[in-house]
Amino acid sequence: MLKRRKTLALLALLGAPTAFLLVFFMGPLVIMAIYSWLTPGLYGGVEWELFHLNYGRILGWANTRYDQFDPVYLTIFLRSLRLAALTVLSALVICYPAAFWISRMRPARRNLALFAITLPFFVSLIVRLFAWVLILRPTGFLNQALMGLGLIETPLEIIYTDAAVIIGMTYIFIPFMFLPLYASVEKLDPALIEASGDLGATRLQTFLRVILPATAPGIAAGAVITFIPALGNFIVPSVLGGAKVLMIGNLIEQQFLSARNWPFGAALAMLLMAGVLILLMAQLRLARAAQGEPRR
Amino acid sequence: MPRLLEIHKASKAFHSPEGGTITALDEVSLSLSSAEFLTLLGPSGCGKTTLLRAISGFEPLDRGQITIDGQEMTDRPAHRRPVNTVFQRYALFPHLTVGRNVSYALEIAGTPKAEIRTRVGEMLDLVGLAGLGQRGISQLSGGQQQRVALARALVARPKLLLLDEPLSALDKNLRRQMQLELKRLQEELQIGFVFVTHDQEEALTMSDRIAVLAQGQIQQLGTPEDLYRHPANRFTAEFLGESNLLPVALHDGAAILADGQRVPASGRGTSTLMIRPEMLGTAPVADGLTFAGTIRERFYSGTSNLLIVETQAFGMLQALLRADAPIAVPGSPVTLYAGRADLHIIPGGAT
Ligand SMILES: Nc1ncnc2c1ncn2[C@@H]1O[C@H](COP(=O)(O)OP(=O)(O)OP(=O)(O)O)[C@@H](O)[C@H]1O
Ligand SMILES: [Mg+2]
Repeated sequence: MLKRRKTLALLALLGAPTAFLLVFFMGPLVIMAIYSWLTPGLYGGVEWELFHLNYGRILGWANTRYDQFDPVYLTIFLRSLRLAALTVLSALVICYPAAFWISRMRPARRNLALFAITLPFFVSLIVRLFAWVLILRPTGFLNQALMGLGLIETPLEIIYTDAAVIIGMTYIFIPFMFLPLYASVEKLDPALIEASGDLGATRLQTFLRVILPATAPGIAAGAVITFIPALGNFIVPSVLGGAKVLMIGNLIEQQFLSARNWPFGAALAMLLMAGVLILLMAQLRLARAAQGEPRR
Repeated sequence: MPRLLEIHKASKAFHSPEGGTITALDEVSLSLSSAEFLTLLGPSGCGKTTLLRAISGFEPLDRGQITIDGQEMTDRPAHRRPVNTVFQRYALFPHLTVGRNVSYALEIAGTPKAEIRTRVGEMLDLVGLAGLGQRGISQLSGGQQQRVALARALVARPKLLLLDEPLSALDKNLRRQMQLELKRLQEELQIGFVFVTHDQEEALTMSDRIAVLAQGQIQQLGTPEDLYRHPANRFTAEFLGESNLLPVALHDGAAILADGQRVPASGRGTSTLMIRPEMLGTAPVADGLTFAGTIRERFYSGTSNLLIVETQAFGMLQALLRADAPIAVPGSPVTLYAGRADLHIIPGGAT
């Protein structure tokens, strides 16, 4: 009797927040999932009729007069994957040594450095990206500096290229990469590094056999948390990539805002989400495998 | 034949964060024959860890020389020195199994797989962890982790093993057991141990020789009996065991106590006479020292009675009597006797 009452109380307590989450968190997702299988209306909006060619146009089986398969969508998917992966890589290359450096600082300086890393968050993203336009454009600071130093003759064409997008995304995602990395680097006991040296390992061997595996969870977490928003990002490519470097986020944005083809945009978004979920699951698998024998 | 370890005038100073310098090692010299158990004993901050790290190569010396097996070590990096270390908090690799922790040094050295397997097996047997090779480090008790650290440091068969307070994290019973096991291992493997502790009892039971350190200097180096019976200075006398320290004047071949009693002794000036509490008894001794006083407190421990006796000339004295000695009640008068052979005059003045 008492037990039953407890269960009821628990249900009442947890029921409301769960319902809230289901309705307002999952709700929009479900709507998009449904939309992606509906027929696009002639002037925006949808007709409530089942339609699979939204996916067909992207994946290959659409072959009607109005709805044709176009490989450009897959190309854009692949480009997004590539740019997001390169962003992760360059953020990692910058953040990994920085995390070690900052973790070895005296507390006062360390707090300052950590604050500095999160500082850009306080300024609007758009403003910061336009600052990068000023830096990267042919008459910008970077080119002027390089030409001033006599390192180059003609301005480098950086802006509106893949490189500009990678630079911009690396810049905005550095805190995302840095914080989980820092957490794992800071936990690394310096005595482990000494123990490895004591047992005969060179610095390189110590890095490969102790430091890297011990901080791998941080690397994986930083990579995932950077990769996902980078993959779907549309602000950086539209400011720094111009019309030439279209990413999947731009494509989705266009479908919703300019083309007003919501079902097609929803289908693109669903495929993006499926891709991310598959990658996440693969990462989890890998992480479990890497932990190996120690089972709980 | 060269000594296993030779340290010559090792000095090291650190800049303290508050400004100024801290002398961690001040011209420390010592040597170790093979298969000797040497303990570095001293209070916190006296430089024990620094000396150990200088030997293993993690702390470069400011001045001085270290040779191991006749080879100059001073400029050799840690990973190329023929010593291994058991770290204070073990420093086991958390991402590796017990077996892989133990095999680490062999993997680095490129030992063939089959040999690694047999040697790791032997090592785990030796430290009493047979069959636990597949375990993760987090699944071990403190005592087991201690053994893994030991096995990991021994697997490469170093001639010299350095141990930095390896037992300080263990509870008392386990500690006792590990002390015996460490001693057995050292004798069985016939290698040199440099063992750091600030526990004097541990030092006395385990060591062949003890180096007492204070403020970066060796105060005394000798066998446990030596140090206990004939401390070279007041610091050693007080740090190792309990003692009654009485001021004496040295004069005409005798040491004269504050109450006028005298015992034969050489030298001049003032000095300190040490009497260990267990050397004081209630049975009269011919031509020794006599102290009359009043019992102030009695602590019974099962095997012994510790009396705190107040005397006129010397203040409080401690006397450790057998438990079956005649019952002594606080407040009653008592006379304590010390035999001449059990007295020790600390050289080097009254400091
Ligand atoms: N890296 C360092 N920087 C500054 N001072 C240091 C450093 N390492 C040690 N010291 C100082 O040197 C002195 C000796 O330190 P050490 O660690 O050798 O002491 P210890 O005898 O091992 O003490 P404990 O028993 O507490 O471990 C101490 O005063 C310590 O503060
Ligand atoms: Mg220490």
